[in-house]
Amino acid sequence: MNTHAPVFESVAKEDVAWLGTDPIPATAYYDPAYFELEREAVFRRGWIQMGHVCELPEPGSFIRRELEVLKASILILRSQDEEIRAFHNVCTHRGTQLVEEAAGKQSRFTCPYHSWTFGDDGSLLSAPDFEQFNVAKEDCGLSKVHVEVVAGLIFVHLGTPESGMRESMGPLADRMDELPIARATTISEYVYEIDANWKLTYDNFQENYHLRFIHPSTAGQGCGGDNPFGYPEEYGFQGPHRTQTIWTNPETGIPSAVQGVSYMKIGEALAKRDLMIPGAEKNYFALFPSFFLFGNPGTHFSHVVYPISANKSRGVIRLYWVGDDENASERYAREYGMAMTRDIHVEDRSVIERGQRGLESGALKHIHLQTNEALLRHFFNEVDGRVQAYKAELEAQGAL
Amino acid sequence: MSVLPEGYEALEPFVATYAVDNAGRRAEMRGEAPSEVRDAFYAAAQPLLAPALDYLDTKQFADYDSGDKQLMWMMLSLAHVAIAVEIQQEDEERHAHLRSFMPVTRAPADF
Repeated sequence: MNTHAPVFESVAKEDVAWLGTDPIPATAYYDPAYFELEREAVFRRGWIQMGHVCELPEPGSFIRRELEVLKASILILRSQDEEIRAFHNVCTHRGTQLVEEAAGKQSRFTCPYHSWTFGDDGSLLSAPDFEQFNVAKEDCGLSKVHVEVVAGLIFVHLGTPESGMRESMGPLADRMDELPIARATTISEYVYEIDANWKLTYDNFQENYHLRFIHPSTAGQGCGGDNPFGYPEEYGFQGPHRTQTIWTNPETGIPSAVQGVSYMKIGEALAKRDLMIPGAEKNYFALFPSFFLFGNPGTHFSHVVYPISANKSRGVIRLYWVGDDENASERYAREYGMAMTRDIHVEDRSVIERGQRGLESGALKHIHLQTNEALLRHFFNEVDGRVQAYKAELEAQGAL
Repeated sequence: MSVLPEGYEALEPFVATYAVDNAGRRAEMRGEAPSEVRDAFYAAAQPLLAPALDYLDTKQFADYDSGDKQLMWMMLSLAHVAIAVEIQQEDEERHAHLRSFMPVTRAPADF
């Protein structure tokens, strides 16, 4: 009897040729002037993922999030009428940051400076000796920030949105609604800071070309047979967003002792909660500008790269779980899933920093990308298109 | 007197190092303990993982006594230690340095 393992078919050059084939300029990955344009063109004009609804479990729950790229502090809350709202964390009197706590529960927010007090709809409720001012209370509400929830994820927009986040995602929004993240009630998290540009950092996680070299013991087992680099089966493009369909290696070896028990516990925990979603483990969503989601329910993580400067960024990786830990086995399965995922991510950080140092030397004028780095090219095209359009606006205004 | 449930006495020598009540600290302890201690803990705990979870699964978290809690925390530490022993192996020392830049800040087991 002849048995044949499924034959892997790589994405063909011509399938992604529409993205262009020229090398891309290296300066975009370190030039401070380019980064200044990105602040406005990409981040002021885009939806940025800042939290999850499970962090706001009841009326009065709030979180404070810093968005360094726009020098902004954002207060996101669930109001008494169950609305998710977002405001600049800035007292409208003289600009004092209103909330210091990273999270908490309260429905009124009082500025420590002169005791101006705001409600959960942002309105100014009281201010001592307000009669001495020459302004109406109605005109002193907190500055609102556009907020939208998709698949449980909280996105904010600090400018004037041209479209909603869900609208921009097209069918990807419905696909993500089907994943555990949309029902998540609790989170595991690990974070990092990196001396590297946000795009260079993000790019690392958009390609599998490096897997066998940087992750030989961890993710490297996803390479083998007729797919030695572990390339994805397919790439997808949806407006500024992209997806990849991950290839599953049929030749993965027998798990070691604890690994075997751990995988079994992860599987049992998912089955118990009806979270074994067929095909979900193959899905990888990249939402513009800097959000990822891995669909695998057992290690269901998001990864957001927040820019700080042209050569410094912050990464936040979160694994999402549905329901509180029901028993010891589920608690263990979640800890192992987090530890395993982190082991892979930590292997990337230092090599990205090496790339940054190399690019900043100015030794390279251009970066060459191959077929299976198509997502990087699409990403660069989306960023650069916005930067060039914004630059043209500024030039037309005589501001450049 | 044993601090762990009956049948888990083999883990007593590791309680001080690996019965840690916070995921971030458990992740750190994987790299901080000497490799001989880590390997000895793995050797003692690995055969007990499945029975320990079966035993703990018979109880609600709220009903855990002190010994149950210590055993749970040690099994959670094993999740980290096992990756060092089974996956990273000789790369573990280099890997510990890489991990130090990516701290665990939150886990459901901490609540």
